[in-house]
Amino acid sequence: MKQGNNAPAIRRTSQAGHAGKEKRMFHLMMLPGMIMLFLFTFVPLFGSLMAFQNYVPAKGIFGSKWVGLENFKFIFSLPDSRQVFVNTLVIAFAKLVLNIIVPVFFAILLNEITSKIFKRTFQTIVYLPHFLSWVVLATVVTNMFSLTGPFNAVISAVGGSPIQFLADNNWFRKVIVATDVWKEFGYNSVVYLAALTSIDLGLYEAASIDGANRFEQTLHITLPSLMPTVILMTALNLGNILNAGFDQVFNLYNPIVYETADIIDTYVYRIGMVERQYSIGTAVGLLKSVISFILIMGANKTAKKLTGSGIF
Amino acid sequence: MKKIKMRHKRWDGVQIVATVLLLIFSGLILIPFWNAVVISLESARAYSLHPFSFLPAEFTLDNYKEMFEKGGGLLLAYQGTLITTFFGTAAGMTVSVLGAYAFSRQFPGKKLFFRVMLFTMFFGGGLVPTYLLYRNLGLLNTYAGVIIVSLVSVYNIIIMKNGFEGTPMELQEAAMIDGANDLVIFGRVMLPLQKPLIATFTLFSMVGYWNNWYWPMLMLTKGNKNVLQLFLRGVVNGTILGNTSGASMAAEQQWFPQGVKMASVFMVMLPIMLVYPFLQKYFTRGILLGAVKA
Repeated sequence: MKQGNNAPAIRRTSQAGHAGKEKRMFHLMMLPGMIMLFLFTFVPLFGSLMAFQNYVPAKGIFGSKWVGLENFKFIFSLPDSRQVFVNTLVIAFAKLVLNIIVPVFFAILLNEITSKIFKRTFQTIVYLPHFLSWVVLATVVTNMFSLTGPFNAVISAVGGSPIQFLADNNWFRKVIVATDVWKEFGYNSVVYLAALTSIDLGLYEAASIDGANRFEQTLHITLPSLMPTVILMTALNLGNILNAGFDQVFNLYNPIVYETADIIDTYVYRIGMVERQYSIGTAVGLLKSVISFILIMGANKTAKKLTGSGIF
Repeated sequence: MKKIKMRHKRWDGVQIVATVLLLIFSGLILIPFWNAVVISLESARAYSLHPFSFLPAEFTLDNYKEMFEKGGGLLLAYQGTLITTFFGTAAGMTVSVLGAYAFSRQFPGKKLFFRVMLFTMFFGGGLVPTYLLYRNLGLLNTYAGVIIVSLVSVYNIIIMKNGFEGTPMELQEAAMIDGANDLVIFGRVMLPLQKPLIATFTLFSMVGYWNNWYWPMLMLTKGNKNVLQLFLRGVVNGTILGNTSGASMAAEQQWFPQGVKMASVFMVMLPIMLVYPFLQKYFTRGILLGAVKA
């Protein structure tokens, strides 16, 4: 739309004279970015070919032996691969759902507050973790879930036996999902708060004249009004379903919980960077990229269909 | 308007319940950080008696002293983070703003270039090939490598391109009539108009570089260069302060590892804590830009 408005005006200036010079200027302006992208994105993309090789660093990509789909066959034959894939999906899906429900709930609560100062203060507080790295947050979170932390203090106060949350396969994923929601719910609520302010207040008036109380108003007016935003956010995040959060898992996990904690990205890191099986690591990464790419394209199409606007 | 205000004017039951719940939410956020700060300010003895207290039982700055003396690398890490944050943001924003402006205009081959750029947003080379490229280019153990690896954000370019496209045509036409060429229009009309947008992405970039640890971890392996997040990881893992397990612990350990860890956490997050409340409007604008029609 906006482009359409712009185009005629630009053409007009071109006709006015100095056309060639200006066009060259635009090329020059995008040149630095394009060079960076070519060198640091396309060259590694070409390097992904090593997924189909038995890559040996000394021989390089031109000298290493081609092995076809051997690496992929090998990956599928590993029992770990299946587990890693499942872990990724379970963690990412739980995050996806809760990272919508909790922010919506929070936004609705916040919307009920009249005092501007209160509202502002609450918002400022809950945005904090979003701006901190998982290195910082993992330290803080580990402290909370440690044997001497408050959760175990409560457990022992009611007579339970202490739990090693971060070294227990029954608990690790739950902690991962909960702490991710803890980090992002405030910031994620911004979108829903914006959507809430655009609801026609006349609807509430009409509802209250009809005798609907505040809870019923929320149920029948607020929530339905938020649905388009919820759907859009879901569609956008579906493309991310294979990103279960490397930074977070990597900073919190340990070998004891690999069984439930290991996700695709941590797996690639360990195979590729720690064990230096370059070809296998690349193959897993490539597989992930291809699936993600398909998912993102699908998600964008869905978002466009549902709301008339996508990511691109 | 009066009636609209009416709906929210009363301090009724709903508001009380909402306030209580919001206080709980806030508490969940604040308590872990507060506890970290408390631990950083207390002694090992006080901590072992009450690991979870709301005020340090025995106030001490020893943990911070210990961090500076034993950690040593904190200043180097601050230096590295400041260098990468400053130069990375400056270079990245320059490249992105120029690219965004170009793509908001018409020029031959625009569609093709744009598609190519868009493709890289969703399809990268992956960890291993990228790492090997930086190694082959000799960018390991350099700040340049750390800067370059997160320099260009296609996403930012697209959002800023949309910003430029949204600028009212009248302003540009008026400038053209006054005889301004495209470069002048870019510098005198478009840039000033898009200041809020540029400020938003500048801040995002700065936070990104400040929190950067993954590529620094892969790249800065020699120890002569460091960044804050990596320093903190070192402290937490015990690689910087020395391993604290084993028999040596009781014998020579005069210091309090958990306290030093928390002191490091505090030093790393302090600048962000001080700055972000005042820049909130820019940050919230950022997420809205992303969600509401890019």
